[in-house]
Parts: sequence; structure tokens; C-alpha cells
Amino acid sequence: MRTPGVMGAMLPAVRDGASLNQALDLGYRQVLIERGSLLAMVGPLASAARQGIAIFVNLDAVEGLAPDSAALAFLATDLGLSGVLSVKPHLLKDASRFRLRTVQRIHALDSTGLETGLNSIVSPPPYAIAVAPAVAVPQVMSTIRGTTRTPIWGTGFISSVEQANEVLAAGADVVSSGRPEVWREFSRIAVS
Amino acid sequence: MAAVIRRGEELPRALGSQVPAVFFLRAPAFHLGPLVWAVQARGKLAFVHVDLIAGLGKDRAGIAFLAREIGVNGIITSHSGLVAAAKAERVIAVQRLLLYDDLGLSSALAALDHARPDIVEVLPGVIFPLVVDQIRARLPLPMIVGGFVKEPAQRESALQRGAVAISTSTAELWG
Repeated sequence: MRTPGVMGAMLPAVRDGASLNQALDLGYRQVLIERGSLLAMVGPLASAARQGIAIFVNLDAVEGLAPDSAALAFLATDLGLSGVLSVKPHLLKDASRFRLRTVQRIHALDSTGLETGLNSIVSPPPYAIAVAPAVAVPQVMSTIRGTTRTPIWGTGFISSVEQANEVLAAGADVVSSGRPEVWREFSRIAVS
Repeated sequence: MAAVIRRGEELPRALGSQVPAVFFLRAPAFHLGPLVWAVQARGKLAFVHVDLIAGLGKDRAGIAFLAREIGVNGIITSHSGLVAAAKAERVIAVQRLLLYDDLGLSSALAALDHARPDIVEVLPGVIFPLVVDQIRARLPLPMIVGGFVKEPAQRESALQRGAVAISTSTAELWG
């Protein structure tokens, strides 16, 4: 069975059971675990995954997991999560063996770093490329599109709906925010 | 302004410009001497980005080589341990504050507060206006802004918000 993918443009970034529930209560069917201890929220995650919620984990930043096969097997098989994010190509290749969707993170901090990130994009292409920080997406989108057609997610430093919309207008497919007030406003806009 | 040099052929234009400092990214460690000395001969400061330098250990011995054998004015790094090594060698320590994740900002600021570099380089430039107050409340350190600073207006706004300098590879901004 294939786990659910990302369907809407807003991907709430949660860090504990409480913020996970907040996102689910607003009707979101997808979340990103961006920070915090994944092991402290195992119960709520497994139960959300069973209900068909698409859950993605940033392996570079969550606490409690080693960047190895045993951790990937746990996420895929025991918890039933949808996918993982990492800057590490070897970890993503390993993740695809466990049928996890792979999202390659690249840092848009300066032109040298962006170039390094784009040169490291795995083949076959990942499910998506997550550009951090998202607010830099408008500045780097044309460079990225010169290299790849893979869907783009923007993550990091989105604190208003206006910022989120700028990132989407620049061509990102998905934008992530850790702010419940942004999730709330965004879900209202999306519904109406 | 600081001119960011990624390839040797970019150096002559930086040498001929008004910039008071040159940052070497991705420099080859063991062929760096003549480049650094050319910068210093023009009365400019030479900084080397340690994390991206090829061939050099990212450790105390590596920093000591840059300081003693090459005589760099300063180093740039993201790592607190290398900041301590640079201070021990009495070269200027520039620590990068990499802003890709707002949830990680407070722990990044705590790490910088602990490491106490001489200068903080905040990247990317587009984030600077969003976080400058938060950084300044936590760290009384001079700030350089870099990363995708390509337009004069971006430079002016960062300087107005209190940055002491801009680092950029965009030669049109070197002046």
C-alpha cells in the first residue's frame, strides 16, 4: 500500500503532539515534523498515520533518531509515515528502499551553497525538493528551475499568509509554516 | 563591503575595487598563500571560509596553518569549535548564522552567544530584516549580512538596519 502524499499547498510544521492535534483539528491531512523529539510523539503519529494523514519527517533536525536504516525502517514499517526530508543523498536513497517518499532538502543561504545543493540532487529525482528558508524561494526559483522540474517545497521562516503566498506565487508547490495562526488563516482561504 | 571570491579569476576585480575585505570561499588550502598576500598587499583584509576549503583539516591544526603559515586576517566558519581555535590563534573569527529554519533560531543564537565570535555573518540576506531585532537582543556583536545580496537596495536596507558590512559575490556591488 502506498502511503498518502501531499495534496494541498500548506504543510503545517509541527513539533509535538499538541501542535499535531492543532493541525488535524483545522482539517489538515498532512504535516511535517520539523523539530522536536519524534520519539516523544510516537503514539499520536502512528494513530494519525493509520487515519491516512500524510506525515513527513525532517531527519536532519528531529531529535531521537539516528540517520540510519534502522530509523528509516521504524518510520516506514512501525509508524507508517509517508516520507522523510534530508540533505543527505545516501539517506534518501536508503529511504526509498523502505518505500518512503523522499524529499531532498537544499539550503538557499548563498549562491555557493545553493549550487552545492543542486549538484547533490539524487537520481532518480526525489518526490520533492525542500528549499530552506522558504522566504528565499522567490530569489532562487529561476536558478532551481534551470536544473530540475521536481516539485518544490518551501520550509522555514514563514510567519504570515502573505509570505506563504509569495512563495507559492514564485512557483513553489507547497509551503510549510510552524505558526498555527498561518495554518488557521490559510485553511480559511483554501476553503472559501 | 566584503568581496566574496569563489574562483581565482574573480580576484583581480576585487583587488581593483574599493572593498576593504575579501572572503575566500572554496579556496584550495595549499595554493592559497599568493592569493591572500595579493589581497593584503592592496591594504585589504583576507578572510578564508574554513568549512569549504579543500584539503585542510577542519580542526586546530588547520586553523593554525592558516594563521601562522599563510597569515590570514580572519576565518569564517559555522562551527563554534573553530571559532575557539581562531581566537586562540588571534585571528578574527567570523561565525556564520545560517537561517534556514525559524524553529532552530533560538538554539543557533544560544550557540553563537556561547562561542562569542568577533563578527556574526547572517545568511541569507532576505531574512535579516525579519530577525535583526531578535538577534541584537541576544547578541551584542557586529553583524555582516550575506547570501543572495545582489541589488544595491538590499545592501542599503541591511546597512540601515545596523549591519556593519555586506558580503557578496556580485561584483557590481563591490564599488
